[in-house]
Amino acid sequence: MSQKKNFFEKMQALDRRYIYIVVALAIIIPLLIPYNSKTYVTEPTENLYKKIDSYAGKEDRAILLCFSHDASTMAELFPMEVAILRHCFERKVKVFTICFMPAAKPLMDYAINTAKEDYAVQSGIDYVSFGYKPYGLFLPIVLGMGDDIGEAVDTDDQGRKVKDLPIIKDGGITNYNEMNLVIDFAASAAVFTWITYARARFGVNVAAGVTAVMAADNYIYLQTGQLTGMLSGLKGAAEYEKLVDVFATYKDKNGKPAPREFSKEILKDSWIKLSDIQNRSHKTARIGMNAQTVAHLMIIVFIILGNIGYFISRNKGKN
Amino acid sequence: MTFEMIGNLIAAFFTLSIFSFLYKDNPFYKFAEAIFIGVSMGYAIPLAYEKAFIPFVYSPIFLEHRFSIIIPSLMGILYIFRFSKNLSWLSRYPIVFGMAIVGMGVPQAMHSSVLVQMRSSMLPIDNINTALIFIGTITILLYFFFSKEHKGLYGKVTNLGIWYMMIGFGASFGFTVMARISLLIGRIQFLVGDVLGLIK
Repeated sequence: MSQKKNFFEKMQALDRRYIYIVVALAIIIPLLIPYNSKTYVTEPTENLYKKIDSYAGKEDRAILLCFSHDASTMAELFPMEVAILRHCFERKVKVFTICFMPAAKPLMDYAINTAKEDYAVQSGIDYVSFGYKPYGLFLPIVLGMGDDIGEAVDTDDQGRKVKDLPIIKDGGITNYNEMNLVIDFAASAAVFTWITYARARFGVNVAAGVTAVMAADNYIYLQTGQLTGMLSGLKGAAEYEKLVDVFATYKDKNGKPAPREFSKEILKDSWIKLSDIQNRSHKTARIGMNAQTVAHLMIIVFIILGNIGYFISRNKGKN
Repeated sequence: MTFEMIGNLIAAFFTLSIFSFLYKDNPFYKFAEAIFIGVSMGYAIPLAYEKAFIPFVYSPIFLEHRFSIIIPSLMGILYIFRFSKNLSWLSRYPIVFGMAIVGMGVPQAMHSSVLVQMRSSMLPIDNINTALIFIGTITILLYFFFSKEHKGLYGKVTNLGIWYMMIGFGASFGFTVMARISLLIGRIQFLVGDVLGLIK
């Protein structure tokens, strides 16, 4: 006669497909019944926000966004790209975008189109997309932009000569002296190339928007100051979304735009109700973090149950 | 039905087809996988042709008559010999050229990955963080010193190094779990929000 199994032994022998169902429910239910989980902003996110904000309204300053990922990591990186682009468009920071992966090109266009929905920004004046450049040109372009951006990139994604565009000509933007911040959105070690070649050689500020998997690898560069700031996965995106809402797109009592300078005090007291934000693309990461919180709690419970079960069956085996 | 709705329904079908693998391998999963590979290649090849071959090979040689471009183009063609058993040695030439570029990055990589990191580990120990970094760096370095047996006091010190590494691996694994859950959240947000319109 077979020995009767206890609860933990049954759990250990559970078909993994039941666990998949529980994981799916732990994510679907918080998405359908949204609540306002508090988003605490970490220092690497703050630093990046402050750096971008310091370029607000400056004609002779620009930032470069490099899209180094495909659709498989869009869930983590796309919300941070939209949030940063919204920040730039709102605060009139000149933005250049580029990608070296064919699959990144449509995502780059999608991010720009999503962010500019609420702004009257024009390509070539307020922002410019350098488009897709073959990966073989990655290093020549990274090094070439240290001398002359117009020479290194040559044409934008509409085939216009970069040198002749008003965004470059009017501000006298020539190289990394003016385009002094590069943000790489990556699910790989692409950020390292920017640190190695652009930062080490030209002293340009480099920041990263990375998937959570890559975040641990990049903390060493953050600790040494080689990264100006970093957004780590969906959490980093949620933090940046919050900063944009609290400071950059802040509206006064009459509903008029009144952007504020970054302040820890204001941030501490700020409370944004997600249901008050109409456009879902402005809160994608924060909605996602609600589900993430529940999923993490569930995983912690699973780990505890699994360990208890493991020790009970081990002791049983010994006896 | 708008173009966006049709696009969303097709994307939802393929998402569910891929998820169906969680139950077991099936024709829907195989179909979605094959379509994904085909579409990726179908998209990447013309884009590379238009953005790489035309501006950097065809136009300079045939339109601008810069015949020096023929040399790197021929070198690039040598990569194709990788598929030939007898002539695959020819593909080593462009690889060697590529390795020379890697060599160019060695001094700069030394700077950012070794020298700057060392400098940051040699800060005055005036707070708990720098003290923890100091202890961690020393104990882990000692752990990887295998000329002395890890026994006695030395063994205890190296054991502390193992603990440091375990905490590092744990943090890394925690981030990985967060990343995987985020990807699932992204897909479910698409299905529940964009397709069904249930997220407000």
